[in-house]
Amino acid sequence: MDFEFSPAERAFLQEVDDFLQANRDPRVMDVTRENMAQVCDTPERRAFMKKLAERGWLGITWPKEYGGQDGEGFYEYLLNEKLSSVGAPQIGKGVGIIGKTLIKVGSEKLKREFLPKILNAEIEFAVGYSEPSAGSDSAAMRLRAERQGEGWVLNGQKVYTTSAHFADWYWVGARTDPDAPKHHGISLFLIRMDDPGLTIQPMYTMGGERTNAVFFDNVFVHDDYRVGELNKGFQYIAEALDIERFTMFTFAPIRGRVELLCDHVKHATRDGEALKTDPRLRQRIAQLATECEVARLLGVRFVDTAINSPKTPTVEASRYKLYSTELSRRVADATMDIVGPGAQLALGTGDAPLKGRAESCYTYTVIDTIGGGSSEVQKNIIATRGLGLPRNF
Amino acid sequence: MDLKFSDEQNILRDMTRSLCADHSTIAVVRAMENDPHGVPEGLWRQMGETGLLAMMLPESMGGAGFDMLDCAVIYEELGRHLAPGPYFASATLSALVLREAASAGQQQALLPGIGSGATIVTPAWLEPGNGFGPRGVQLRARPTEGGYLLSGTKRHVFHAAAAHKLLVLARTGDDEQAIDLLLLDRDAPGVRLEQQKSMASDTQYRVVFDDVAVPAGARIGAPGSGWRSWDAAMHDGIILLAAWAAGGAERALEITVQYAKDREQFGKPIGAFQALAHYMADASAAVDGARTLAYEAAWARSRGHDVRRLAAMAKLFCCKTFRDVTATGQQIHGGIGFTLDYDIQLFYRRAKQLQMNWWDAHYLEELVAADILDRELPRTIPDPFTV
Repeated sequence: MDFEFSPAERAFLQEVDDFLQANRDPRVMDVTRENMAQVCDTPERRAFMKKLAERGWLGITWPKEYGGQDGEGFYEYLLNEKLSSVGAPQIGKGVGIIGKTLIKVGSEKLKREFLPKILNAEIEFAVGYSEPSAGSDSAAMRLRAERQGEGWVLNGQKVYTTSAHFADWYWVGARTDPDAPKHHGISLFLIRMDDPGLTIQPMYTMGGERTNAVFFDNVFVHDDYRVGELNKGFQYIAEALDIERFTMFTFAPIRGRVELLCDHVKHATRDGEALKTDPRLRQRIAQLATECEVARLLGVRFVDTAINSPKTPTVEASRYKLYSTELSRRVADATMDIVGPGAQLALGTGDAPLKGRAESCYTYTVIDTIGGGSSEVQKNIIATRGLGLPRNF
Repeated sequence: MDLKFSDEQNILRDMTRSLCADHSTIAVVRAMENDPHGVPEGLWRQMGETGLLAMMLPESMGGAGFDMLDCAVIYEELGRHLAPGPYFASATLSALVLREAASAGQQQALLPGIGSGATIVTPAWLEPGNGFGPRGVQLRARPTEGGYLLSGTKRHVFHAAAAHKLLVLARTGDDEQAIDLLLLDRDAPGVRLEQQKSMASDTQYRVVFDDVAVPAGARIGAPGSGWRSWDAAMHDGIILLAAWAAGGAERALEITVQYAKDREQFGKPIGAFQALAHYMADASAAVDGARTLAYEAAWARSRGHDVRRLAAMAKLFCCKTFRDVTATGQQIHGGIGFTLDYDIQLFYRRAKQLQMNWWDAHYLEELVAADILDRELPRTIPDPFTV
């Protein structure tokens, strides 16, 4: 057993550190965007991804025949933790979900068309699973895909497509067999985001970010742009979600926020008294720091299982996602309480304690326990697949 | 980064598990409840013969050369089985103190016996109305010609009637840390034992010292070094208690999950209700986190790292998890769990008591807080990704 990074892993971390130093740019690296920092929504951020691509860091785990390095997933984990620690965009959707699914089940045509562009960071994707009537029950999606000529015509609606307003391509699940059981009638499609049949409507969120609703009005997709086998879409989505759970919720930002809070308690005063002399705050800090270490270790357990064991780490992923995101919300709440009245001041307010991070953490982290599979969904996965309890819904 | 155990550690786990399956059955655990001696004969003999009681000893004194992670594997299994007996008091904590602070002569006289199980040593530490810190030690050791005279009262002295020696923390002056560790015969004149029943029905005594004469040669280490030696031994000891608690929590969750699969209400197994399934899912994440934290603390100690923070975190979190899981277990068992016929209550009572003994949550939280807030470190929370 070894909890330490190997010399090769440490060398890689150093390399990434040096790279981040050399490419320091507040427009690209911004921890105040909290978990939204991972998206690649500006020209500067896209240019940064291209630099990552030039270093060969987008294809670490891809097979060599597709331009990857056949490397260990552990390095992808280290890279994402590093990127998220400075609030830089992360490798996730394109390389992880879409790239890996295409490598596994995509046609030669789709592989040839998309894989090189993903590897070179020339393409941004939006992912469309959620619908008004398909949230946690994602297999309930109703977006209709009907056969017509050489392809399909799509009609319906998606919600929470966060990247819709800047992405190039749309990775979409749609119902291709309305009569089959709900998990067995869905297929995956790739659609150009500028298709005239798509209407993108912003949905503004707490924290000044946006996500989108997307309406499909007779969007035609050639059958060549259907991914893998017909009606197997939900299985592909589920397999790829195990990856998403990890890339979407890196540990480094949680650690960063706990560090921020501890640092505040260490140095701040109230009524002329050092905060750290208050035994209630000392107790809270000790508890949160301990839980933070536990969250880190559940992440390590997940990665370790993915790499060092033959089984798919579904339950480990759920345990990590559940525990770390619930902690993330506890940390945000504790930060408000500990920082005191000044914590209500919005991000960017001149004299706000922690520069307003308390407020931004408190509003942003709401989505942590919901997106990528809510806490309740994770608990169902752990209960049935981890503990062998009966299906409960 | 690799969380796999070595082959040797897997063998050690299997060996401890099968030893407990034979000699620390639930029947043994129940038989030892409130037993005046509290030493399960078969288990104790086997632990001596297989080298488990010598786990802290140097190889020159019969130890097997185990490191802290090996010991944590053993303790996790002992915890799973709620193994009774004075192994922590004697073979771990007392052995740790003696190994680090005792003279060669004292070590030679005591450690081989501790390792075989022939000698039992138990610490006499806590006092009525007092806490875990040095100020809690008020039992007086007044200097006499050639030794000390002890008077005062100790409580929560585990397995005192079975012990041959008491390792007494005694105050020699008014400075906070003017504390010596004194080793004396349990049946020395003036030592009076009184068994006290506890929530966990373990074997513990109130021990009154009435002008007990102790020779200077019974002191462990230099005068005034007692607290330092004790504190260092405790930092190691709590790592293993964390592993014990993690093991207990694992087992309590398994028992509860099985019950939720078997028990039917409203026409289906109660584990099919999300209200209950979600308790168990939360517990499952906490248990895996607790276990991994105990391993990390043990691993770090084996590597010679500073484990002040990790050891305290491990005992704090593992014991809280053990407590919480057993409380959830009681709720899921419903009324039947309240009866003595079911085993979950054995776990429930021991979990809370372990959380309160050998440094409780308050004491541990302050250790963690002090390490984070009062030290001059550039970072308050270490960044594992910074090289």
